[in-house]
This record gives sequence, C-alpha cells and structure tokens, in this order.
Amino acid sequence: MKPGVVLRVILMRDLAMMKRYYLNTVSSLVTIYVVFLITFVGMRAFTGVATSLAGSDTLEATIVGFFVWTLTIFAYSDFSWGLINEAQTGTLEQLYLCPLGFRWIGAFTIISNLVFSLIPIFVALIAMMLTAGRWLSIDVITLVPLIVISILGAVGVGFVLGGLALVFKRVQSLFQIVQFLFIGTMTMPQRLWWARLLPVNAGFGLIRTSMIDGVRLWELPLGEVAIALLVGLAYLGIGIGVFSACERAAKSRGLLGHY
Amino acid sequence: MAEAVLEVDSLTKTFQGARNASVRAVDNVSFSVKQGEVVGLLGPNGAGKTTTIKCILGLVRQDSGSVRVFGGDLRHTYPGALRHMSAVLEGSRNLYWRLTVEENVRFFAGLNGLGLAERGSEFAQLLERFGLADKKNVEVRRLSQGMKQKTSVVCALARRTPIVFLDEPTLGLDVETSLELRDTLRSYSREEGRTVVVSSHDMDVVQQVCSRVIIMSNGRVVTDDSVAHLIDLFRTRTCTVKLGAQAGEGQQQSPQQQPPQAATSPAGGGPVEIPPELAAVLSEEFAPAEVSGSTVKVTLADSRSIYRLMDLLKAEQLPIEEIDYGAPDLEQVFLEIVRRAAAGANEGASGEATRP
Ligand SMILES: Nc1ncnc2c1ncn2[C@@H]1O[C@H](COP(=O)(O)OP(=O)(O)OP(=O)(O)O)[C@@H](O)[C@H]1O
Ligand SMILES: [Mg+2]
Repeated sequence: MKPGVVLRVILMRDLAMMKRYYLNTVSSLVTIYVVFLITFVGMRAFTGVATSLAGSDTLEATIVGFFVWTLTIFAYSDFSWGLINEAQTGTLEQLYLCPLGFRWIGAFTIISNLVFSLIPIFVALIAMMLTAGRWLSIDVITLVPLIVISILGAVGVGFVLGGLALVFKRVQSLFQIVQFLFIGTMTMPQRLWWARLLPVNAGFGLIRTSMIDGVRLWELPLGEVAIALLVGLAYLGIGIGVFSACERAAKSRGLLGHY
Repeated sequence: MAEAVLEVDSLTKTFQGARNASVRAVDNVSFSVKQGEVVGLLGPNGAGKTTTIKCILGLVRQDSGSVRVFGGDLRHTYPGALRHMSAVLEGSRNLYWRLTVEENVRFFAGLNGLGLAERGSEFAQLLERFGLADKKNVEVRRLSQGMKQKTSVVCALARRTPIVFLDEPTLGLDVETSLELRDTLRSYSREEGRTVVVSSHDMDVVQQVCSRVIIMSNGRVVTDDSVAHLIDLFRTRTCTVKLGAQAGEGQQQSPQQQPPQAATSPAGGGPVEIPPELAAVLSEEFAPAEVSGSTVKVTLADSRSIYRLMDLLKAEQLPIEEIDYGAPDLEQVFLEIVRRAAAGANEGASGEATRP
C-alpha cells in the first residue's frame, strides 16, 4: 500500500469538491468577515465584547482571536460534518474499505481540510487586517507549526464529535455549543494555572505572542511550546480513543451505513 | 483444485433492536468460495445477505464465527486484508454525487493505492466496457439510476481486488438496463477470472451471472449448490405426460380386446383420457400429482421413478404423445427451497441445508 497515493487522491477529491462548492467557500468567508465586522464596530462601542473574545482589549488580539477561532472551528467541524454526511450518503463504508484502515483516511482528511481551509481563512485574515488598518506579523515558519500545535486539541474534539455522530447520528446541535465553548477555552486567562490545559488555550497564547509581538518560533519559551504540544497531543489521544470506542459500537450495531 | 480464497465459518450476528427485540440476521453461516468462482447469494428480504457481506468486509462486527481471506483470519489481518476485497453496497450511493464519474473512479482506486499513472488506460477500458466512456466528465448526480449503478460497479472493479462483492447490483434498474449490466458482469467476470459474490433476490440475476448459488433464508444457509445442478435437480422432479389419440385402427374398432380398465377415447379420435383407477394409483405413487383428462403431472421421487411411471402407462397401452420434464427456472427452485426451509424451521428441524 502507498499512503502517498491515498493522501493525494483525498486532496484531489477535496480540491474538486471545493471548486464545485466554491459558492460555499465564498459564503463562509463572507460570514467570517461579517461577524468580524460586527465585532469590530461593536468593539468601538463596547470594549467589553472584544475583551471576552480576545482576552485583551487590543484590536490586534481580536483579529488573532478571530483567526484562531475560525481555524479551530474548521478543524473540528469539517471532519465531523464530513463523517455525518458520508454516513448518510453511503460513501463512509467505502472509505472504511481502504486497506490502510480508516485512521489514515481520517488523518488525511483532516490534513486536507486544513490545507483547503487555510486559504480562505488567510483571505479573511487579510480582509480583517485591511478593515482594522493594523498589520500583524505573518511569519509562515513560525505560524504554521504553531497552528498545527494549537489545533491538535480541536482535532481531538472533532474526533469525539465524529465518533458520537457515528453512533447517535443527530449531534448537529452539539456543534454550535462546542463552537462557543471554544471561545471560552481559548481565551481563559492564563494566570489561572489550569487554563493552559484547556483545548487550544496554550497554542492560542503562543500564536498571539508571535503575531502581535513578532516573536519567532525559536524565540518562544520552550516550556510554553512543550505544554501546548503535550496538551494538544493529549486531546488528540483522548479524541482518537473515544472515536475508536464509538466506531466499535457502530460496527457492532451496524451503523456505519445509513441505517 | 482451486484453493478457497474466502472461508466463512459459523458466522453469527444478532442485532439488538428497540425495546430488547433482537434479530438474528446471520445464523451460523458457513461457506467457502474458490478462486475465480462467481457465487450468487440469494434470499428473500431480510434473509441476511447484506449483513453477511458486511461482516465479511468488517463493516459490521459479528458476534461469533470467523472469516478467512486467502487463508488469513481477518481478526489478525484486518484492515490490510481489504486489499483483497472491494464491494458495491446495497442502498448506498457508494459514490460522491458531486464528483464526476472519472473523479470517482480515480478516488476509489486510489484508496487501494492505485495511482492514475499506472492504471489510467485500464480505467478508460473499464469505463468503455460499461458504456460510461462518454459520461466520464459528468457529475454523478446528473446520471440516470442505471448509469450511477454502473459507475459504482466500475469503482469497485477499478480497485483491482481479487474478490468483489456486489450487493443487489441491479436493484432499482429497469429490465433493459438490468439485463445489460448482468451481461457485462457475466462476460467480465469470466474473462477476468475474478472471484465475485453477487447478492440478489432476483433469481434471474443469479441464474445469468453465477455458476453457484448459496440460498439464505432467515439468516441461515439453506442450500449451497451449483446453479446448473439445482435446476437439474428440480427439472427431473416434475414431469408432465400428455396422452395422444389411440394409434392402431384395430384397437379402436375392437374395444373389447382391451383390458378391463381400458382407456376411454372420446369420439372423433381425440386424446385418450386417463382411467380413474390409474389416476388413483398415480396420485398415490407420485404425489403430489395432478390428473386432468389426458394430462398427468407427477412428482418423481428419484431417477428411477420415471421408469415406474412409464411401466404403468404402458401396461394400460396408453399412447404417450409428449413427456415434458418442465424447465423450472431458479425462481421456482428458490421458492420451493425457501418454503421447505421455513417448514423445516417450524418443525424445529435445523439442518435442512443441502451441501454439495
Ligand atoms: N443495523 C441493523 N440494525 C438492526 N437490524 C438490522 C440491521 N441491519 C439489518 N438488520 C436486520 O437484520 C435482518 C437481515 O437484514 P439484511 O439486510 O442482512 O437482509 P438482506 O438479505 O440483505 O435483505 P434485503 O434483500 O432486503 O436486502 C433484517 O431483519 C434486518 O431488519
Ligand atoms: Mg440486503
């Protein structure tokens, strides 16, 4: 088996889908931007909203907050939404017939989602920066690893939701709740010792430091990076564990299909 | 002898339904399939065909029993063993409707590690073969039901696995499209020498495409035999004899020479009718039998029964015009077997299965 071929066809599938659903992509972009705009305008009126979203009252922090939040939502929801969709339409069982095993398909799908959502999210980021008239430091070498580290936790949550979706089918309402829970976990002030243990929290802190203060990856405190990585991996591990348990339940109840 | 590529042993699966109701969808099913065989899995709705296939593919976890593919127990070789098996699953789309035919083929073949570079011309041939060549750039959702189904089959075949499962491949197709697909499947499976398991409740499909049939009912295998043999078995089981007009002039003119139970021929030289005494004997010896006028339809218990029947008719000097062994199609065979299996189950008998 060649995992490379599998990754390639998944990327090609998602590229073709994105082209065909480009209106979706455009509209989700516009939504992100409009929500930002409302916050931006609102922030001038009540600084409080911004404080809750960014954990600080600077405009830059708000933009970074939006950027990471959107990434987080894409990371966990694309995978679990996809899973629900594919179970309903009957392609999920075909994916399960891949000799590499579904784990790999899941991992590749997440990578592919990330690749294709980064582009519109960056476009939205630039639009936000233009609107606000503030330029943040976008150092790809620093940013990409930090993004990967911080969304590990979100992907873990995505696996949990995906697993629940396999077994219980109707979990859409959970999505919305989780989406807003993430704002809380991301922005929980880090002076509370346990805040960093929440998903995406530590990673978000690092991204903020890097984008606002222009700190490069190797200049970041190693301990903080390690904590962010370990917490992310732990959430990922828990997520995969829950997913496997749900998968077993789904297989024994015959739920992988559209039953 | 070709070796078994698929061995299913004592497979059992019970689904826990709502309010503790449970359905034994697959009940102690065992069979094996040899390299290159085209096997039909036939059974009425709810017989357990789909569940059996999904257990083999590891999509449904069985309660007990084992599956071996190329000798390897799936409990140890899964999911790697999936490189040997692909499937078109019943009722599922099996395809991405928003992708084109060709994009689908590439994607699903890619899941088995097959890149376009080495397989491009092969994909083109498959599409050609199934009449999809001019549709390759059309989104699947715009295709007719028949085309969609064919695309599913092509996607499964494109994965190049030695074993292919087709669960109800002709479901929902009109007669013509179904015939065409069967035809392609039959010739394709013969040429390629791939092992194919086709499930259906349409006997024609199995009769046309398969060489062997496993009949399931209520989760159990009730028959496992070659299609030809099954049909043979039932062809010789019923026999219809039609009597003609009395032949010899002399006999007609001197009825007193005939034995006491002589046949009575209506005036005008029409076919002879079976005398009631003989009818009674036939009804008893060849039950169930139907006697009406000059026609008798009997059931033959074994291969010698036909001679006994001829003896009886000859003894009466009855002119036999026509013997028809009947040509049951698999449908009759199937209904009969399922009926008997159900009757057997009601009596508490379990081992009704006939094995080759
Ligand atoms: N996931 C499931 N949960 C509960 N019961 C199920 C499930 N899948 C199948 N069953 C039940 O198991 C039995 C066998 O179903 P199965 O789909 O295997 O039959 P089948 O032979 O494929 O029938 P059909 O010809 O209708 O496709 C049926 O009674 C069905 O209702
Ligand atoms: Mg079925």
